[in-house]
Amino acid sequence: MIKIENLSVAFDGPEVVKNVTLELKDGEILGVVGESGSGKSVTALTLMGLVADTAEITSGRIVFDGVVLREAGKPIDKALYRKYQGAEMSMVFQEPMTSLNPTVRVGRQVEEMLRLHTDFSKEKIREKVLETFEAVGLRDVETVYASYPHQLSGGMRQRVMIAMAVILHPDLVVCDEPTTALDVTIQNQIIELLRTINTKEQNSMLFITHDLNLARRICHRIAVMKDGRVVELGKTEDIFEHPEETYTRELIEAVPSRLKRRTSVFQGKYPAEGEERHSGQEETCPAKGEKRCPGRIGESLETEEAVGGVEGQAFPPVVEVRDLSVFYQDGTNSLFSRKKRHAAVQGADFSIYRGESLGLVGESGCGKTTLSRAILGMNRDITGEIRHTTVRPQMIFQDPYSSLNPAKTIGWLLQEPLRAAAALDKSRAMSREDMEAAAYDMLRRVGMEEAYFHRRPSQLSGGQRQRVSIGQALITNPGLVVADEPVSALDVTIQAQIMELMQKLQQEMQLSYLFISHDINVVYKMCDRIMVMKDGEIIEIGETQELFDNPKQEYTKKLLASH
Amino acid sequence: MKKPDSGKWNKYLTAGLIMTGLALLFGILGLFWTPYSTTAMSASEKFAAPSLRHIFGTDNFGRDIFSRVMKGLSTTIVIGSLVVFFSASAGILLGALTGYFGGLVDEIVMRVTDAVNGFPSILLALVLISLLGNGRQNVILALGIVFIPSYVRIVRSEFIRLRDADYIGRARLMGVGRIRILFVHILPNIFSVFWVSVMIGFNNAILAESGMSYLGIGVQPPDASLGKMLSDAQGYLQNAPWYALAPGLTIVWVVLGFSLFSEGIRRRV
Amino acid sequence: MNFFIKKIITLIMTLFLVSVGAFLAFQIIPGDVVTSILGTEATPEREEQLREELGLNDPPVVRYFNWAGGVLRGDLGRSYQYSKNMNEMMPVAELIGDKLPVTLWLAGLAMVLIIVVSVPLGVLWAKSGSRFLDAALGVATQATMAVPSFFLGILVTFLFGVVLKWFAPGSYVSYRQDFGGFLSYLVFPALSIALPKIAMTARFLRNSMLTEMKADYVRTAYSKGCSRQRVMYGHVLRNAMMPVVTFLGMIIAEIVAGSIVVEQVFGLPGIGRLLISSINNRDFPVVEILILYITFVVIFVYFLVDILYRVIDPRISGK
Repeated sequence: MIKIENLSVAFDGPEVVKNVTLELKDGEILGVVGESGSGKSVTALTLMGLVADTAEITSGRIVFDGVVLREAGKPIDKALYRKYQGAEMSMVFQEPMTSLNPTVRVGRQVEEMLRLHTDFSKEKIREKVLETFEAVGLRDVETVYASYPHQLSGGMRQRVMIAMAVILHPDLVVCDEPTTALDVTIQNQIIELLRTINTKEQNSMLFITHDLNLARRICHRIAVMKDGRVVELGKTEDIFEHPEETYTRELIEAVPSRLKRRTSVFQGKYPAEGEERHSGQEETCPAKGEKRCPGRIGESLETEEAVGGVEGQAFPPVVEVRDLSVFYQDGTNSLFSRKKRHAAVQGADFSIYRGESLGLVGESGCGKTTLSRAILGMNRDITGEIRHTTVRPQMIFQDPYSSLNPAKTIGWLLQEPLRAAAALDKSRAMSREDMEAAAYDMLRRVGMEEAYFHRRPSQLSGGQRQRVSIGQALITNPGLVVADEPVSALDVTIQAQIMELMQKLQQEMQLSYLFISHDINVVYKMCDRIMVMKDGEIIEIGETQELFDNPKQEYTKKLLASH
Repeated sequence: MKKPDSGKWNKYLTAGLIMTGLALLFGILGLFWTPYSTTAMSASEKFAAPSLRHIFGTDNFGRDIFSRVMKGLSTTIVIGSLVVFFSASAGILLGALTGYFGGLVDEIVMRVTDAVNGFPSILLALVLISLLGNGRQNVILALGIVFIPSYVRIVRSEFIRLRDADYIGRARLMGVGRIRILFVHILPNIFSVFWVSVMIGFNNAILAESGMSYLGIGVQPPDASLGKMLSDAQGYLQNAPWYALAPGLTIVWVVLGFSLFSEGIRRRV
Repeated sequence: MNFFIKKIITLIMTLFLVSVGAFLAFQIIPGDVVTSILGTEATPEREEQLREELGLNDPPVVRYFNWAGGVLRGDLGRSYQYSKNMNEMMPVAELIGDKLPVTLWLAGLAMVLIIVVSVPLGVLWAKSGSRFLDAALGVATQATMAVPSFFLGILVTFLFGVVLKWFAPGSYVSYRQDFGGFLSYLVFPALSIALPKIAMTARFLRNSMLTEMKADYVRTAYSKGCSRQRVMYGHVLRNAMMPVVTFLGMIIAEIVAGSIVVEQVFGLPGIGRLLISSINNRDFPVVEILILYITFVVIFVYFLVDILYRVIDPRISGK
């Protein structure tokens, strides 16, 4: 039985953990859920005795099977802790790549646990490590044993971490966001593995996560943390069915749920693929299947003529992609080796219609980013055709910290697209006052106060930056916006706000989104149609609800089931 | 991403500012005025130890060392500034273009830069001097050329880093012109890194210049120079150690000042 | 294996380019050397004869290959400045052969000093939790790095030679006469070269270790129950040393530069002094060979460092 009693932790002043009390029974998985800055990680690290030396325990204590490990007012007893760390309590971290020493073979890293806490012989240690590797589902364990971390895949690395954590059968395993850095299908396997281990070993697990849905799937009980406090604690079902606190309710509602049926703008009437194809397509690629046909990026303006081709349709396409393959080059061009050319996307064929959100899902490396860059004209090594009916599609990036130029003010950033448009096309020139007015107007529309006009990105929070980022993308009124994981770097409550903003602006401005995300729930909430990519190919495309109800591909089924 | 000191004043800045400020003050003053004439000899005051009259003492000709150090400092600072100006300007231009555009020119410039960077800079300067001949202008020219690659390297790597930043990708999507991206979008973001390298470059220029004049290759009389003073003083270490200490410690003072200052800036960023 | 071949080809190409550059710089651009050898008073016949003798009448490409071929066979050309006897100019090879060991021993000794002192110092510094030691070493290293090597040489001479009288400045003994005496004299110039680099390397290693201490895998090691000692030596040191190896390799160029200057301070008859006097006397064949030689040493050390790096870092070699 592990008890955290009335724990408060402070770093140089303000407390980041306030009066937290948690109890872990044997065989129990306790989830600690909260957004960044909620104090969940500090609580876990303090429990593990890993919190920085600058941290001060201002109240409470930690009791492990009746032994007081840490107490307010007393310095940490590192020698005592070392007996518990590894042997009685262990931890699985978020980033398996950086959490393993890059220059030591993983077998030796796991061995170290046994060398520290047992007096087994060399042979016995090795045998035990291999045995544990097998138990956590690693195959070809001898090879894994002799590998360096960079030679393993993300999932394998996390299995190694888990093997390390459970090899001495500790009473407590702390998992700090153990699946966040992994692809969805791998996530599932790791969650399964942790659950199996818990059942078999009957140990206690503290499961730290920002993802309420994930916690729901594995935890017996859940503690919700906010601003350093536990605001609600209870059985998982109770938390979800009768949340008592408003914050808990907010959190649950912020997570896009699939319980509501999704209706698309098309209401089942979107033009079936192939019907609305342009004539004159033959000229672009006369001999299909011939080695290479130069790609074309049609940038026809949104004139009567261009739209004319699709007149009469309720949903005219903003971009049509025909038999598109996108290539990238490998390595550097040097004296000794030519770059190798690979197709990252093959035979993509789809359209995006005005006013719709098309979701693009797939695991990392499947080519979704490459495809979106090609549509934006950022990758020009293509074959096939991309035909735009609107001008200059824009993009919303994932990382709000690197997508705004830190040297400029928000006002300047919002006006720059207008200046650029004016420089390209004299007819779009605006007076200085008009530009400023437009920027102020956009600032309001993305829900920010005018006072931010003169500030710099560094003075803004992540959510605010993403708002500015959206404003910057939309100020020139593009027909199409590519959003590459626009909310995945944000906390859930902020996520919900940004998604709402994006939907509001979509309706106001008749925008089309190509929405890329690894988060199936987010895609469900945002998108009218979903396109599934695997290994560079689009394997399935369909209206959201339809796709969720009747996925045709096995892979789609696996992907959608992951949450 | 953020360091604890970020944006704050720190003690490195204070110390660096005071030291470089004093050095610059005396160096610039030395261009116009010195307490004694730097050439006035006095047979009665040979090897006078530091005193209130001659705070750094006098040399083998009875000349006031403090005045001569001031003159030497002026030379050093003028040469150092011109060298930095010359090499840093060329470095920014080359680094920006090669870093952003890449390609064959980049490849060639990088090969040359790598070769030069791996080579002891003072040696390369000596080679150039041996071709160009001695004298102030040639020292500036030689060092100016020798130090270009170090700036190219830094500016280039910054441009490569920022070339792929999301906000630059976005500027490209907006259709911002290349030149504007280079100088309006990217350049302001590399200034902090650039200033640090300018100061380190200034130090390297000072060290190379004084080293060359110590070796007797470089600035020639009547131009005063700290390195030349040191080599003159070396023969009198036994009787007049202050003669060597004065110019030597002055060099240390300037170099230390600038490195503290640049460390201070680096910690603020 | 492929890697080595690539590296060796690059090495040879760089040397070729540098030799072409050196040849252009010292044999083509300076123009006619005949007057500088014979003075302005010589007869036109004598000048023409010398020109023919030196091969100056051949086209530049032929001259380059003659020269380069000679260098490869060990014929390094002849000095304009020194003569062997009345009729013969001094072969550069002979001129250099005598002085080379001095510089090599000096640079080697400096390198050994740097490694032997800076690595333990850096580790100790990173390990110490003491604020005082931290600040003291910070100030001391920063100050040491600001001292130019020739001034440091003078300070060392003053302190150990004049004040403490541990050695007599100017009492250099040739390695042929008394090797022990030679080495013990070299300690002081080597120290002058090494001190600023020791400060630099110790700082670098310390920073590298402190950076590594913040890495995630360190937290993992602590979570296993490792002591600070064990984390430091078992996990951090190896990773922290990797950039230091590269750093030490880069320092080679500076040690060579330092030894050129420091030879002057301590009156050592090495190639540094030869270089300076050759530059002063515009003795281009000697300068040319010395430049080529120094380039070769520097590039070769880089090459070795590259290989060493592959051996110690599994992330590069383990593919």
